[in-house]
Amino acid sequence: MSKQSFLCVGGAALAGAAFLMLAGIPYGVSSPSNVRNIVLSPLFWPYVLAGILAFGGAGLVLTAFRLPPGARDERLSDVPGGWARLGAIAVIMLAYVMTISTLGMVWTSIVAIVAVAFLMQAKRPLLTAVVAVAAPLLLYAFFAHVAGVGVPQGELVRLP
Amino acid sequence: MKFGLKAALAALAISASATAAMADYPERPITMIIPYGPGGATDISARTIAEALGEAVGSPVIMVNRAGAGGATGSVAVQNAKPDGYTMLFARVGSHTVNPAMKATLPYTLADFRFVGVYEINPVACAVKADSDIKTIDDLIAKVKAGGVSYSSSGVGSLLHIAAAYVLKEFGIADPVKDAIHIPLKGGGAAATAVLNDTATFICTNSSALASFVANKQLKPLLVTTAEPIVGFDAPTSADLGKPALTQLVGWTGIAGPDDLPDDIAAKWGAWMKTATDDADFRQKMESRGSVIRLMQPAESQAFIEGQYAVFRKLVDDLGMRIEN
Amino acid sequence: MSLMDSFAAGLALVWSLESLLALVGGVLVGVIAGAIPGMSATMAVALTLPFTFAMTPITGILLLVGVYKGGIFGGSIPAILIKTPGTPASSATVLDGYPMAEKGQAGRALGMALWASCTADLISNLALILFAGWLASFALSFGPPEFFTLILFSLTIIAGVSGDSLLKGLISAIMGLLLATVGLDLVYGTNRFNFNDPNLMGGLNFIAVLIGLFAIPEILTMVWNPKGQEGQARGLGGGWVTWLDYRRCFKTIVRGSLIGVVLGSIPGIGAAPAAFLSYSEARRKSKNRDNFGKGEIEGVAASESGNNGVAGATLIPLLALGVPGDVITAIIIGAFMVHGLQPGPMMFVANADIIYGLFLGLIISSIALFFIGTVAIRGFRFVADIPKALLFPVVLVLCVYGVFAVNNNIFDIGVMFAMGWVGFMMLRFGVPAAPFLIAFILGPLLEDNFRQSMLMSGGSPEILFRGPITWFFWGLTVLTVVAIARAGLRVRSKLLEEKRT
Repeated sequence: MSKQSFLCVGGAALAGAAFLMLAGIPYGVSSPSNVRNIVLSPLFWPYVLAGILAFGGAGLVLTAFRLPPGARDERLSDVPGGWARLGAIAVIMLAYVMTISTLGMVWTSIVAIVAVAFLMQAKRPLLTAVVAVAAPLLLYAFFAHVAGVGVPQGELVRLP
Repeated sequence: MKFGLKAALAALAISASATAAMADYPERPITMIIPYGPGGATDISARTIAEALGEAVGSPVIMVNRAGAGGATGSVAVQNAKPDGYTMLFARVGSHTVNPAMKATLPYTLADFRFVGVYEINPVACAVKADSDIKTIDDLIAKVKAGGVSYSSSGVGSLLHIAAAYVLKEFGIADPVKDAIHIPLKGGGAAATAVLNDTATFICTNSSALASFVANKQLKPLLVTTAEPIVGFDAPTSADLGKPALTQLVGWTGIAGPDDLPDDIAAKWGAWMKTATDDADFRQKMESRGSVIRLMQPAESQAFIEGQYAVFRKLVDDLGMRIEN
Repeated sequence: MSLMDSFAAGLALVWSLESLLALVGGVLVGVIAGAIPGMSATMAVALTLPFTFAMTPITGILLLVGVYKGGIFGGSIPAILIKTPGTPASSATVLDGYPMAEKGQAGRALGMALWASCTADLISNLALILFAGWLASFALSFGPPEFFTLILFSLTIIAGVSGDSLLKGLISAIMGLLLATVGLDLVYGTNRFNFNDPNLMGGLNFIAVLIGLFAIPEILTMVWNPKGQEGQARGLGGGWVTWLDYRRCFKTIVRGSLIGVVLGSIPGIGAAPAAFLSYSEARRKSKNRDNFGKGEIEGVAASESGNNGVAGATLIPLLALGVPGDVITAIIIGAFMVHGLQPGPMMFVANADIIYGLFLGLIISSIALFFIGTVAIRGFRFVADIPKALLFPVVLVLCVYGVFAVNNNIFDIGVMFAMGWVGFMMLRFGVPAAPFLIAFILGPLLEDNFRQSMLMSGGSPEILFRGPITWFFWGLTVLTVVAIARAGLRVRSKLLEEKRT
């Protein structure tokens, strides 16, 4: 229960609600011109939600001001190298999703396991390598041949 | 693992020369996209023909469900696929006639697909709750004119949505959109239940979806749109009622590829579907569920679907049902 | 035919090697499929369907029912071991099951999940056999207005899973409700927050959101601070659920089962809301209320009894009315039809032997689930012993395969990753994830039923107060909200008192 987290969440909720009401709903939701009743309009529910979001955000900000300054929130404190590692996994995830259809899910998964295990500072490199190769292949065998899922194969090497 | 270096090399070689060998089609499994979820009418129909097709094709057929947005999500996947015949689509009345007729914002049109065959026709029936005081279609029409009648559907742009409006229009209701209330539900099962629990007055849908309710005397059929009677449905046909235009109101399932699918692949599909639909086992399974097996060759399919589209499009424009944004 | 004759005819059908094998095999397949994230019970049943075409009707249907029951329980295994619910129904199990695994009590949690599941399953089956007709007519009195009030009441669960701050829980829930509006409008078919992208038109994939919200933040936390996660006692710890645990949770299990039976018999709700409702009721009534969400065994018992209580009960509308309660029973109806059987009131007369055979088979399936589940838990024992730095990368890949398999769409993997980052930020700022998920499940039901009611009544709100069922749920909702407000005031006055002293 830290002041900081209440302020941040409350502020974000207020900003989100303002965005929705001013831009998000008018541009993101289309409504036909012949709506008979206002409560049936596709816009009605999103506006109600945005209103409650604003209410909740305001409530959090108010609560935050009444809270004592208090100790630092442990969840919000930094860890050495943490942000760099998070950046790295963001890149891995992005690359993973982007390359699945061209390279094939099995091959990208092998690379992903190795990369993520490295980020998590896994202890045994040999075991990691074995698992990195075996797990995606086993999953492929199961999903493609038992469950009948069309696992993306990519354009380079096709598995039977 | 059955995976060897040899296989990998062979696969590599094959994929490198894929463009050269159209005559060898299919040399790897064909992916067939079902644009609706598992367990639905399209899914069961598709998986039933897949068994028979697999034998005809001679290589495995992978069935893939990609549901969402009334069939649009899966259809777009095939629209954008390579026209190599390895990605095909199960097209359905909802995704390829009603939806294109109703939705201006749909990311595809009929012209984006090449139909290689329609294999199944589903007659449509309209029904009310068994203990309802509506006994005939004329009773229903009288009630609509009095006001307060509603009908259930499995969503905007479904066959059920347009079928009810079409039937009302045929029987002389000038503006069914205003005079009867459309209550959309999530899925065909929920739509039938809505009539059972008095949420909606009537429903028009594939006879197969109503068969068990009619047999159990929970629902009472008012009409069937075919010219011939349907087994188990004690209701007047479109011929009995003197409304031949109603026969155009049917559901169907077919197979399509992207629009630039080559002729020889389309021809191969025509032959495979002939073999599959001649399969006695397949026919028996499909007919026991109330669908009519009728194979149309590629050219005939294309004409049939375009004809249906034109009928629905005219209705949608006449009634102002088109969704512009 | 008297009741005894019917049962005898049913027994003759079930008591064959073929039928028993189908049941046991079905449960086994279901448990394995349920334990793989993304391979939901629905998919497993759909994949099994073609095999039943060649069997006799009763064998085929028992196989499907076995897969269904096994699948619902199987989902709890990854929920407890790797914080990845195998099926949506087991997402409530994560709340206490995973903290228990973190404390080295995975074996105890899994054991309780199994025992609660089997008990609930049995109660659910008995309810089906004894009260099918009565519950079915009750279910038919549920139209959109009744649904709306029921869902509104269910949303009060959010207060119970909000953790420290009710307001943060509220914001989390609103985010879930907002995310659920993505897609096509129900009544008009227009675009809502989908920017005309076909991938968004169908709405966000439920499993992708679910896994993204629970499993991926764990992985990101591990990447954020690899050292901080080490040295925790994991492993099954040799622990197993005790008779004492079971007796302590028995009331909770029975309550959860009954909630499951009632919600299961109403078409269109499903197992996930039942699990959450059972969880929130258990928390409200429990002496250990403060321990919920931190690894309370009663929480696992509540959620697993809630979702398994649904399994037998969904067959009530199927058999008594011919109405599918969810996608799985829709597939099972398909299996009936293939064999020329038409579920509904007439079937009790025309095919009484099959109905009673099915009843007996269901009872046997509860017993089969108990033994197969025990073996399966021992089989998955090793997962808890794998070091996290090796386990988590594999979990990531498993989630990718699983989420892809649901709808065969790579876009969904992107949704899962994006939700993972949302979940991670929520974790950092102390915003609970459970309200988000409950709201994401219930939000569309709430809005759709509200608008269907308005369509029925032509815009008059009076319809929301028709009949005793709506009044009942309005009453419950008001009572719960008052109770929440009073509890909130009590906490505040306590805080003020502390300040003064």
